[in-house]
This record gives sequence, structure tokens and C-alpha cells, in this order.
Amino acid sequence: MKLFVLVLAALLPCLAASSDADPGKSMGSPSAPIRIEIFSDFECPACKGLHEQILPSVFKDYVIPGKVYLVSREFPLPMHPYSREAASYATAAARLGKYQQVADTLFLNQVAWAANGKVWDTVANVLTPVEAKKVQLLAKDPSVLSEVQRDVDAGRAAGINQTPTMFVISGTSRFPVAGAVNYNLLRSMLDGLLK
Amino acid sequence: MVFSSKVFRAVVLALRVALGAVFVYAAWTKLRQPWELFAMSIDAYKVLPYWAVLVVARTLPWAELAIGLALMAGRWLRVSAGAASLLLLVFFGLMVRAYVKRMQIDCGCFGLGDPISVRTLARDGTLLAGYLFLTWTSFRGRRKAA
Repeated sequence: MKLFVLVLAALLPCLAASSDADPGKSMGSPSAPIRIEIFSDFECPACKGLHEQILPSVFKDYVIPGKVYLVSREFPLPMHPYSREAASYATAAARLGKYQQVADTLFLNQVAWAANGKVWDTVANVLTPVEAKKVQLLAKDPSVLSEVQRDVDAGRAAGINQTPTMFVISGTSRFPVAGAVNYNLLRSMLDGLLK
Repeated sequence: MVFSSKVFRAVVLALRVALGAVFVYAAWTKLRQPWELFAMSIDAYKVLPYWAVLVVARTLPWAELAIGLALMAGRWLRVSAGAASLLLLVFFGLMVRAYVKRMQIDCGCFGLGDPISVRTLARDGTLLAGYLFLTWTSFRGRRKAA
């Protein structure tokens, strides 16, 4: 219960997220001293590793205490045939406040849908029938498609050439962290920036 | 006769300064950011234990800076050129290993955003040839002088 309240408290400030970050894809307080932007691809194995092994620790140690504002961005790679479709569903789900649930299931079942292409079946599993209907419609909405493309364009402009790539932003400094991440090193870096 | 020519000496001098600058630049790209970022690049190769990753991440950029400055200044040439060649030989070997194993990781050579590819291998291979040549000329010069 206590954890739930803490998580809720961490998520509430997202309502006031800055205009360039989708509030539905952000966690923590926008006024946190460090902002981490993650460009990832739902079909990329290293992104799965980051999402499942590193982000829960970042969330617990830094997002909940208000030290880090976490922003998720889409960067579907052309080499992955279903990743843009997955990104569209996730972005659509974010409009209903269901981004994390959809992202969790997409990464959890990555191997299966990346092989059989059943992206929608995977997404629909974590949605109610009403939500599923809305997400299916929203995923084709031009505003959702353009939001995904905006993320891709922003990533390209930032020089991203692999996923996952995180940008750790502290004040005016912006540090790219590409590929697999060692949490001990990331923690040491974040603690150093927070000093 | 060719080796004693002014042109050859000028080429060696230009090469020495340029290759020294490459090491200084490589050091600068690492030292201007939190050391943990370089540590993550080293860790991604999966060849060193964690404690060694920390040691290398904290010391290697300073070593690169010292070697680069020594090369540019023309001091301790046999040692600095030899050390540069040895370091680049190790880097190049690790990069080839990562490429063959299809590890999609950053080279870590000049900061981040430089994934290992044929282009980075060609670049570092060319640099390695340059450092080896410089090492050869530094030893050759000493032998001739003796």
C-alpha cells in the first residue's frame, strides 16, 4: 500500500509535464534535478533488458524520491518490422494512461510477437475491451502517428544510431548513454550529478 | 637515403603531431564527461571484471592524454609511440572481437555515439598502422644514431 501511494505520488506530477514530453509516457516530477529521456524500440533485445532490469531500480531509487524525471520516447528501428506498430499502440495507450502496462507487456512478450507479428494481441491482453477499442482507433490517429515520428526525428537530430539510448540531462549538461547499462555505474553517475 | 630526407622527416613530424592530437582528443572526449560513461563503454565489451573496469575507466583517459602530449612534444618517443601502438593494438583487437561476435556496442574511442562498424574498424586500423609506423621510425632513428 505504501509503495502504491509512493508510486501514485510520483506519477501525479506528470499531469504537469513539460510540453515537449508526453505526460502519459513520463514518470516523476518534471522539476526533478535530473531528467532522463530514453529512446527505445520495443523489438530491440537491449531495450527489453533496460526496461526490465534497470528501469525498475531507477524508478525506485530516483523517480519516486523526486530526483529523476523519466521520459520515454519511441525510436523504432527500420530493421524491426513490427516496432513502429508497437510504438503506435503504446503511444495510443499513453493517451489513456496505459503506457506502462502496454510497454511492460510488449517487452515481456517481445520474443513471441517479434516472431509471429501479433503485436495487437499482445497489447489487447492488458486492456479492457473499451480501452482496446479506443487504442485501436487512436493508433491510427494522425496525432499519434506524428508523435511517434516526432520522437524518431528528435532522436535522429540528437545523433542516435542505436537503441536504447538514454540522455541524462542535468542542468545544461546532456550526457548520452547508449546500449546496455550497468546499474551500479548509472547509479554512481546519477549520485555524482546530484551532489 | 630516402629516410634521411627532409621530406621524410617532415612527414614523420606531421604524423607524430597528428597522431598525438588524436590521443589528446580521445582523452578530452572522455574527461569532459562523467567517468562512469566511459566505464559503461568498457563494461559493454564484457572482457574485464567490474573492479578492472573502474580502474581502466579512471586511469586510461589520463594515460591517453600523457601519451598524446608526449607524442606532440616529441618527448620519450620510443616509449610514447610504443605505448600508443600497444594501446591501439589492444583496442583494435577488442573491437574486432566485438564485431565478429556481433555485439552491438559503442566503440568508446571518442566518447559516445560511435558504434562498432566497418567504418570504425577501418578508422582504427588506419590509426594503428600510423602508430606502428611511428614506433618503427622512433626505434630506427635511435638505432641509426647509435
